[in-house]
Amino acid sequence: MDQFNRTLAGWEPMVLSIFRIMVGLLLFQYGVAKILTYPVLPYFANIPPLIVAAGWIELVLGALLVLGLFTRPVAFVLSGEMAFAYFMGHMFKAGFGAPVFIPLLNGGNGAILFCFACLYLACAGGGVWSVDAMMRKR
Amino acid sequence: MNDTLAAWTPRALSVLRIITGLLIIQHGMAKIIGFPAVAMFAKLQPLSLIGAAGFIELIGGALLILGLFTQPVAFILSGEMAFAYFMGHMFKTDAPVFHPLLNGGTLAALYCFTCLYLSTAGAGPWSVDASMKKA
Repeated sequence: MDQFNRTLAGWEPMVLSIFRIMVGLLLFQYGVAKILTYPVLPYFANIPPLIVAAGWIELVLGALLVLGLFTRPVAFVLSGEMAFAYFMGHMFKAGFGAPVFIPLLNGGNGAILFCFACLYLACAGGGVWSVDAMMRKR
Repeated sequence: MNDTLAAWTPRALSVLRIITGLLIIQHGMAKIIGFPAVAMFAKLQPLSLIGAAGFIELIGGALLILGLFTQPVAFILSGEMAFAYFMGHMFKTDAPVFHPLLNGGTLAALYCFTCLYLSTAGAGPWSVDASMKKA
């Protein structure tokens, strides 16, 4: 089992970059759905300005996260946005008087995991396969 | 700012692991223990494919929270979530749906890659693994 763990640990820098790219792509699709309306989702038609702002953050910063450019500040902002999204859009969806506490019931699992994944990326940086790493080498 | 954030990496890794474990154990509890009651899992057979997924999520999620055997546990959970994405979301109907927003598999994909990363990075300093290494 130690050998198994060591083999996996050897892949850590590369998998960090793969993880960053996947988190970026998954966030980017929400921005694309909200701002560019692809794919067309009925619940993102006629969205209020706050959700439009969230969409721009996801579109621009999601793309930067995929590229791995300015990873730390970008991931930090995205983490905050997702915390906001969890409380505003999921926990207090039914109004501030009626919070729903279990994420499985308020549908906020994705927002929580995005929040903490981005928080970790803000600390760990973009990994080896990123524009940040390429610029550091030069 | 970058140096301050970088100094928190090991602890942030443990926080990410605990949160991932807590989120995954919810799915296991909803399937196996029936709390919280989710209509979709009301008539679940424990010895079905979804039942097996529930046991993996229940036990694997608990071990991930504790940070015990983190690397193999996260590796198995990552594989389970890849399975869940393709079986339960992409090929839910006969025709494959490729866009995660349309097939509802965003969360499964995110669990899959988070667990894959945890399987390489390990549990971080706040874990049973780390306290056993010290002892």
